[in-house]
Amino acid sequence: MSNIAGKAYAMNVITPIRWYKVWINRLIFKIALSKPSTLKGLVTLSLIHYARWVIIPRDGFPHLDSSQPKENLNYAYMLFFSNFNGSWDQYVDSFTFAIPAGLDLFWKWNVRYPKSVPLSPFHKYIRHNQIDTSHYYNAYPMAASNDVKSAKKLKQALINFNAESASKTSEEFLADYNRLLNYLQHDFGEMRATPIVSLAAHAVKERYLKSHAAH
Amino acid sequence: MTQNLELTDIQGNIVKAYGAFNFTKARYLFLRIDNGDKGREFVGAVTTKVTSAVRWEKNSMPVATTNIGFTFSGLQALELPTASLMGFPEEFVMGMKGRKDILGDDGPSDPMYWDKIWQETVHIWLSINGQSIEAVDERYQWILKQIEASDGGVTLLTGHRGEKDEDNLPYQDASVLYDAEGKPTPKEHFGYTDGIGDAVFEGQTNIQARVLGRGKLTRSGHWEPLATGEFLLGHVDEAMDYPQTAPTPKLLAHNGTYMVYRKLHENVGSFNRFLDEQSKVFPGSKELLAAKFSGRWRDNGAPVVNAPDDASKAEWDKNYAAADFAGQKKMLIDFTYNDDIDGAKCPISAHIRRINPRGSLEYGVKDAYERPGALVDRRRILRRGLPYGKVKDPTRDDGNHGIIFMALNADIKRQFEFVQQQWINYANDFKEGNDKEVLLGNHDAKNPGKVVFQVEKGSGKAPHFVNNIPRLIEARGGDYFFIPSITALKMIAGGIVDPT
Repeated sequence: MSNIAGKAYAMNVITPIRWYKVWINRLIFKIALSKPSTLKGLVTLSLIHYARWVIIPRDGFPHLDSSQPKENLNYAYMLFFSNFNGSWDQYVDSFTFAIPAGLDLFWKWNVRYPKSVPLSPFHKYIRHNQIDTSHYYNAYPMAASNDVKSAKKLKQALINFNAESASKTSEEFLADYNRLLNYLQHDFGEMRATPIVSLAAHAVKERYLKSHAAH
Repeated sequence: MTQNLELTDIQGNIVKAYGAFNFTKARYLFLRIDNGDKGREFVGAVTTKVTSAVRWEKNSMPVATTNIGFTFSGLQALELPTASLMGFPEEFVMGMKGRKDILGDDGPSDPMYWDKIWQETVHIWLSINGQSIEAVDERYQWILKQIEASDGGVTLLTGHRGEKDEDNLPYQDASVLYDAEGKPTPKEHFGYTDGIGDAVFEGQTNIQARVLGRGKLTRSGHWEPLATGEFLLGHVDEAMDYPQTAPTPKLLAHNGTYMVYRKLHENVGSFNRFLDEQSKVFPGSKELLAAKFSGRWRDNGAPVVNAPDDASKAEWDKNYAAADFAGQKKMLIDFTYNDDIDGAKCPISAHIRRINPRGSLEYGVKDAYERPGALVDRRRILRRGLPYGKVKDPTRDDGNHGIIFMALNADIKRQFEFVQQQWINYANDFKEGNDKEVLLGNHDAKNPGKVVFQVEKGSGKAPHFVNNIPRLIEARGGDYFFIPSITALKMIAGGIVDPT
């Protein structure tokens, strides 16, 4: 079990919400989606691969087979699903410091949500409602979300440059090349292994590698 | 909100940087406790000389100060109750060696190469700061007497590296560096002016003059002192919370804090060679390049964001010379990177921009965060310490010279360790991938890294690449210490700590 794979951390938080208040949350999500400026804090944080909020109504949990007992739930639930870069502390703290009002807006109607400030009740709330990840696969363990964004920008710029530079004189080529470097000057970060943000997660990984090397 | 600190209760090194008060010399001692009863008695004796944070008038300034702190195993050896011990945070319990993978202490910084003293079990840190070496020595002799009087209760540990590369000294000396005329300077061995932008928090004195550029940036562009709880346990912090790193009972933690002690060797030869080589391909003077590494010019600490080339530096110097004392201070500390989000003036990887990005992690997206420094205000540390040793041959790395780095913070993991790992040895928050900060980064000799010095966006100019960065700083020792209040020291010494 680990919530960490390379530079990514998987967080699943499922919190109860009174079924008759669900519509308020749906409305808030709708407004947030239609007004991107409400998410500019989240976007600027730039440590998120994906984040998604989903409302699961009381009768919305999957019922896969007739042998599965029917549930009678008191609450609807809000599932928050996120893949981000860095440690749990870094992520949760960044959220609280940077966008406390946004957090409160999304979670406000959830049962026993303590508000994001002060920090420790919020920490406890998230921890209490977090579902740990049993299996987590990351195809690009060295790529943070920023690395992906930079790589995409760099790739496209190179393709364009290549197409446009073929017939240029060497002076023009140099001027274009410098312009290219200028355009990409914030996208040259080296991509290497993640710093070890959790000694426990690191030890789990080391043990796994050791046991697999032995077999 | 104004806060009156209980200055008689707080250890002086937390609130004051002694170096700013003409204490040019320091000596650091490390001890092991061999007997709980006698060890507590020793702590009690030393406590009578512990320097508090009380304000000094000109005629009441002591010639020497003394401060004390304990590792986790030190507190165990002093027989604190288990319930109290269990209240200390993980990183403090593990100690600095146990955190090497977090701190990036690998290769030549690996704890196995540290001074011999760090192969021992360290329990107590004792510091003496003095206005002269004689004052330091006098206090040292007094401490030796207390050690003797402890009758085997505590042992002074030897094993600090000395001038002859033998790890045989019973203490670590540190001192300001002197210029050619013998005047004390604020320099370290690479030639940089050090200790300018230390954090300022609520309750310190003379806040108005000091808070510029050193506190927290408000939405309206003003500076306010950081919350006391960022640096002192038992006080409200920037998250409107009490630091969660405080042990019980309350009185054990209240007005105390945590200290990081690190002996950092400076590879002066590598630095000089690197600077020479890089300046051959750098479009600008060698001093400008050195300034871009750190974010401040070496000679007077001018912030490169306000003096981004040789011409503007000459102008800055002229204004600096014409300014009064307060004006000069302001020129050194009162700046942001708001007009330099792209890093064309001060590179995003410059030392002072990495360790304190001010409002720049908002990337010019106005009102993106609750406050411009929302990601910064919980990552600040108080910097203490002095250089040690002398550079005998500026072409060589070996020898015994560097910085005794000390950082004070309420939460070592959230503050010091975060900055060290995420902002010095890594750069995702700066959108620079794994690029390490030039001066302090744990650069890998086999696979040396680079940084980019950005230029004006849209100028058509190529940014400058600084390649093949060698490891310029190596850790040579250190640990994490709890710095109790004077009340807590008396409780520990009296054996009356009781969390029930």
